Amino acid sequence: MALLEVEDLHVEFGSVSDPIIAVDGVQLTLEAGEVVGCVGESGSGKSVTALALMGLTEFPGRVRAHRLALAGHDLRTLSGRQHRRIVGKEIAMIFQDPLASLDPCYTVAFQLAETLRVHGTHAERSSAKLRRARALELLRQVEIPDAEARLAAFPHQLSGGMAQRVMIAMAIACNPKLLIADEPTTALDVTVQAQVLGLLLKLQRERGMALLLITHDLAVVAETAQRVYVMYAGQVVETGPVPGIFAAPLHPYTQALLAALPEHNLDRKRLKAIRGVVPGSRDRPSGCLLHPRCDYALERCRAERPRLEGARGRESRCHFPLDERGRPTHGWAPMSRVRASSP
Amino acid sequence: MIAAAPLLEASDLARHYPVRRGFLRKNGLVRALDGVSFTVAQGQTLAVVGESGCGKSTLARAVTMIERPTAGSLRIAGEDVGTADARTLKRLRPSVQMVFQNPFASLNPRKRVSALLEEPLAVNDDPGPAARREAALAMMARVGLRPEHYRRYPHMFSGGQRQRIAVARALMLRPRLVVADEPVSALDVSIQAQVLNLLMDLQEELGIAYLFISHNLQVVRHIADAVMVMYLGKAVEYGPKDAVFQRPAHPYTRALLASTPTLDPRLRRERIALRGELPSPLAPPSGCRFHTRCPYAVERCRTEAPALLPLREVQVACHRAAEIAETR
Repeated sequence: MALLEVEDLHVEFGSVSDPIIAVDGVQLTLEAGEVVGCVGESGSGKSVTALALMGLTEFPGRVRAHRLALAGHDLRTLSGRQHRRIVGKEIAMIFQDPLASLDPCYTVAFQLAETLRVHGTHAERSSAKLRRARALELLRQVEIPDAEARLAAFPHQLSGGMAQRVMIAMAIACNPKLLIADEPTTALDVTVQAQVLGLLLKLQRERGMALLLITHDLAVVAETAQRVYVMYAGQVVETGPVPGIFAAPLHPYTQALLAALPEHNLDRKRLKAIRGVVPGSRDRPSGCLLHPRCDYALERCRAERPRLEGARGRESRCHFPLDERGRPTHGWAPMSRVRASSP
Repeated sequence: MIAAAPLLEASDLARHYPVRRGFLRKNGLVRALDGVSFTVAQGQTLAVVGESGCGKSTLARAVTMIERPTAGSLRIAGEDVGTADARTLKRLRPSVQMVFQNPFASLNPRKRVSALLEEPLAVNDDPGPAARREAALAMMARVGLRPEHYRRYPHMFSGGQRQRIAVARALMLRPRLVVADEPVSALDVSIQAQVLNLLMDLQEELGIAYLFISHNLQVVRHIADAVMVMYLGKAVEYGPKDAVFQRPAHPYTRALLASTPTLDPRLRRERIALRGELPSPLAPPSGCRFHTRCPYAVERCRTEAPALLPLREVQVACHRAAEIAETR
């Protein structure tokens, strides 16, 4: 049994009669101790998916799922009280902007201890002294220099990297089975980003927890994750192992995303941009959601929405998935490619 | 061939800010920009790379003539900005324009695209409403916006389109230099590629020079002709792009390159673990400012600040640069 099982997750906002679709039938599984990446552009629904897993979808958001289970426990039918016992303990989450996630009015020690007071062991819940000792130990585990002095610090006295380390300390305080990291390094400087990513992976290995890493940065996923889900407009369009999925993507969107990276255009003057923009909530195309931006789209792509299909662990949501040489299986060369190759 | 006179020339450019730390306490001095020298030629791109607090944005403020440098000289098209009078500055300002990081914050939400694009013309030698409109529509076509966008408000556009508006606005006065402060870091990968292509096309058509400020080394590698790496207000390495990327000479440049995630496992370098974070600019370390985090630091680095000296094709500020280059 997988640690996290999500089947056909839908999250909608707005009115029931005219909903704004944020997440549209997402499938997601995570084994215990696995590092899984989730990449997509803004508006692709990756953060909304994570919040739905945590049960943090705000009114008027509505979550529907065929299955939503953590370690076999159905998360959909839990009462609020039961849910609070799991969230923060079994699943923890860290966010993009650590200084916005920490409460500016309380010290680091207080905020760390609060987690333990709510979710800790019986001993931790009853002894403030023990909680303080544990808080110090946690700060040391996330490699904060001069941890003792930092206990009394307020969030504004911390740098971005330090604050993110404190967030990580809070998240791992109760040994969660699953840690969701939503753009954990996006707001940090390059060298600090490398430090924090390294720390996350080290903690993940030591504790054997599963890590769901949500990011827009394909390179971060390529360096850290074992498997990846690529999301587009609220749907998973492709999933597969790293680095296989980057070497031979099945979905044209994954291929186009990779081709748009400067590092894949080293000897070219122009980058291969994807034309157009991610569809908004009001202008979701018919058929395949990518077809207005896809180089290979045919009539069928306009008419019929593809399903997520393929071999186990290597699926894509495309009528004509790409072959290992990166060409669509319908065998048609797209017009733009024909023009590009002619002299 | 005669070497073109540089469009922008900075020598020992510095900008210090006094900081009050409270009653009975000595005032501090933040050396946000501390002796930086570089040149940008017509139609070229100089990328400035560094982490937060390295002085990138202070540099942008000095080059756009928002603030005067406190020391050193900054010449734009041959005129020294530090000593220029108000009239000269007014004459120079249209030739340097700026594109900001966040197109959601840099466009006034109460103004239509028409007003945003025409305002620079209206306040500088107004050619009249008809000519303004014509110029705005021509510029919109140039940056890939459609004529029907002319009457719309910024909230009706996506991030990439907004950045196109911001670029169009910066180009309305036909500048010779555009300072782009992290112009694509708020954008998604696919949109980032569109905007980078636009910037490069415009450079080719109009011969603009860019001062391109970014922390994204992959983007810099794509767009720059020359690169200047900064750390706590000082340039640590400055040279042609290929030299800096293929044979980084300064330990900080190496660490930056090694810290940048990459898709290709073959290109993945060994992580050079940098200890700690950036020191406070209020109390920068003695000697070489990087010595607290440098894996190669020796006693000399703690006491003596290295000068920016030529080493092969680049200039580098490191006592041990030659030695480190050998060991690779």
